[in-house]
Amino acid sequence: MSLTSYAVPVPRIPVGQTFDAAINWLRVNFQAVFDFIGLIIETCVDTLFALFSAPSATQFTLAAAAVTAGGLLARKRYVPTLIAVAVWAGFYVAEVSAGLAAGVITALPAPLFLWAMNLFGAEYVYPPLVLALLLLVALVAISFTATRERRQWVLAGVSAGVLLLILALHFIVGVQLSLIVAALLATIALVVAGWRVALFSILGFLLIISMESWENAMSSLALILVATLVAVAISLPIGVLAAQSRHVSNAAKPVLDFMQTLPAFVYLLPAIAFFSIGIVPGVIATVIFAMPPGVRLTELGIRQVDKELVEAGEAFGAPDWQILRRIQLPLALATIMAGINQIIMLSLSMVVIAGMVGAGGLGNDVYTGIAQGDVPVGFEGGIAVVILAIFLDRLTGAVTRFSPAARAQRASA
Amino acid sequence: MPAVRADKLYKIFGRRPGRAVELLADGRHRDEIKSLNVTAAVIDVSFEVQPGEIFVVMGLSGSGKSTLIRMLNGLLPPTAGSVEIEGTDITKLGKSGLRRLRSEKVSMVFQHFALFPHRTVLDNAAYGLEVRGVARSEREAKAREALALVGLDGWELKVPGQLSGGMQQRVGLARALAADTDIILMDEAFSALDPLIRRDMQSQLLELQESLGKTIIFITHDLNEAMRLGDRICVLRDGRVAQIGTAEEILNDPANDYVAQFVEDVDRTRVLTASSVMEAPIPVVDPGQGPRAALRTMRENQTPWAFVVRRNRRLVGAVGETAIGEAVRDNAKEIDGIVETGVERVHPDTPVADMFGQAAESSYPLAVVDDQERLVGVIPRVTLLAALASSVGDNGEAEPAAEASGDAAESAPGTEAAADGETADEGPQSAAQTESDRGDDAPATEGSRQ
Ligand SMILES: Nc1ncnc2c1ncn2[C@@H]1O[C@H](COP(=O)(O)OP(=O)(O)O)[C@@H](O)[C@H]1O
Ligand SMILES: [Mg+2]
Repeated sequence: MSLTSYAVPVPRIPVGQTFDAAINWLRVNFQAVFDFIGLIIETCVDTLFALFSAPSATQFTLAAAAVTAGGLLARKRYVPTLIAVAVWAGFYVAEVSAGLAAGVITALPAPLFLWAMNLFGAEYVYPPLVLALLLLVALVAISFTATRERRQWVLAGVSAGVLLLILALHFIVGVQLSLIVAALLATIALVVAGWRVALFSILGFLLIISMESWENAMSSLALILVATLVAVAISLPIGVLAAQSRHVSNAAKPVLDFMQTLPAFVYLLPAIAFFSIGIVPGVIATVIFAMPPGVRLTELGIRQVDKELVEAGEAFGAPDWQILRRIQLPLALATIMAGINQIIMLSLSMVVIAGMVGAGGLGNDVYTGIAQGDVPVGFEGGIAVVILAIFLDRLTGAVTRFSPAARAQRASA
Repeated sequence: MPAVRADKLYKIFGRRPGRAVELLADGRHRDEIKSLNVTAAVIDVSFEVQPGEIFVVMGLSGSGKSTLIRMLNGLLPPTAGSVEIEGTDITKLGKSGLRRLRSEKVSMVFQHFALFPHRTVLDNAAYGLEVRGVARSEREAKAREALALVGLDGWELKVPGQLSGGMQQRVGLARALAADTDIILMDEAFSALDPLIRRDMQSQLLELQESLGKTIIFITHDLNEAMRLGDRICVLRDGRVAQIGTAEEILNDPANDYVAQFVEDVDRTRVLTASSVMEAPIPVVDPGQGPRAALRTMRENQTPWAFVVRRNRRLVGAVGETAIGEAVRDNAKEIDGIVETGVERVHPDTPVADMFGQAAESSYPLAVVDDQERLVGVIPRVTLLAALASSVGDNGEAEPAAEASGDAAESAPGTEAAADGETADEGPQSAAQTESDRGDDAPATEGSRQ
């Protein structure tokens, strides 16, 4: 007598292989698309990184111009501001493609520039810097002529003054850029979130600089910001759609659950397959991992808006997009900002994993620490991540204060 | 052309409403079609509202009022039947047509105000015009006007959270007024307010309506409010119309037991006005007459007083028996010098409830004078008490105090009568208090006294 075996034959379903095949198919057919996406992301991260870690005089000048222009736009002086920016953009493009500005500059009498070249110890006049300076001058002039508002005058004056101070400090006195950028970031914290956060930021950034992690921290910051931007750009519209339609909401829910529960490492497989290693797969994996709360909280925020208010909009004949734009989004802003805050925090937690695929930055420090048993390097990387996290968290948490809804709430309290 | 016309309107919530409409049209009650898994909110409702009218829809909670009003501006599409606004059948309009209708012809005031908390009072009031694309300066000017109309000038730059409930609803009203539509829908607009503020708002609404001539469709679950505001009232019961008529028709001639039960609780002194209880203004004398002639007129009418009016019927005052007697003794030529000019006056629209205090203070009957100061009637104290008696009595059949003819002797000045006036004052108050224990959903006869 032989024992009968009751083992039921379970067929092997080639889940993994199918997935792999799908990836390969996509790669073969859409490689160009992925390359394009990768290129854009990489350019963005690189630019941001350069801006944070080693900003040029031109970038500083443009930042000052942007602050001034922002003030003008907030005060509804659209026409002169946009004309100035458009003229600058035109010259800039002409310069980059045809060297136009350089031609003009060489045609001008040399003594005009010599003193500045001597002062900054430059070998030649860098045309984009000249253009940027002219733009700033134009915007400051507009601020003083087209507005009668004190605050705009102060804003224009301060941004020009701070720029001159920075240029002098760095190019003449020789202070490191890292200190200057740290001070600027702390200033942003001061304006947005108050002096406690500013104090914390400056101390934290000094610690990072002293741990010699500044470059890596700025690299991670650039990666996080780009990933956050992409994640917000994708999750916000999906959240809005999900709030409007039950079908979208029902379809999105399981996908979001899947994205959040799948171990983060698993994203890396297709991300590497599509974008090879480097910063781009790191950004992609971060976006996928960090996006779900953005969608969920956007949907929640919009659904939470009082039904009667939406009905009031309808009752006065407002079209749907206007109700969304003027009633639902402003009132959901606090919740949406909480979602963006979550996105940033989750991005930070992905830093180490992104480091594993060669995205560099602080993640790389931590990863090296783990791989080589180098505790000091790993720990310092971790501390730097925490400092960045707190800085970004407080900053995004405080941004909501400036929304009309929050202002109204404070007024009525 | 009526401003609003509803014709055989039905609204059924649920998956397959067609069959339900057929059964309901056959006269089934909405509970009988529960098995179809539908909710019949509005059943076979037809009415017409004339331009400039205040049309009140009244019913208990769940009787379909909100559903009905939302079909009038197309927020809800009817299951069957049609709605005409100024002659246009809006059930045939597309999405953009409906939007235009709402922004140009019909605006709305909400129960919980539905003000935008993140906008200033001014921006809230200007919302309707903003949607319509009116330039900022123009819409703000109109919004300021509307806010001034509701008595909120000076509050433009506050946000709604800084205002009290009553003021918030004024903003809601201003938002509807600024939109400059001929028709305003008000869904339980005053139900969330305290009784006192509510009465203020009702008076203000009546004043505004008089000067602006808007067509108003007003929804309430409060019978007193309905009676006070409505030119005509539509009583809804379980989605169907129970009765449509003026306040007095509904009060004196209820169409069925349901309406009769409903109006049983109403505080008649609030509904009945001076003009509905007053009596013919006799006797009257001319200020140029001699005291003997005046005395004769009073004797003929068996009253101890007479009102003194000029030829154009403008009221000068009143004279009493004692003063006349003395004048006769003194051989005075004219009564002009002895006329007491401080008699208490009321307007024909003053509710009976508001007259007790005045009646108690005066030794003469109340003089009912119109806007031109002309004497149109008198109300002796007994008449007032009779009106009150029929409102406290348990059936509403007593004709409002008409037969309580002004018998002179009884309205003589005296402390006793004044004391009566006081007790009369207490009556409806305690009634109102027991009433208010019933909670929100009952057709509460809200506290009527201030
Ligand atoms: N969107 C809806 N879906 C299903 N049933 C509804 C809906 N809106 C209202 N109803 C039902 O219709 C009936 C009438 O409601 P409503 O018009 O709000 O009454 P009222 O305003 O008189 O209190 C109620 O039984 C309510 O439950
Ligand atoms: Mg309702």
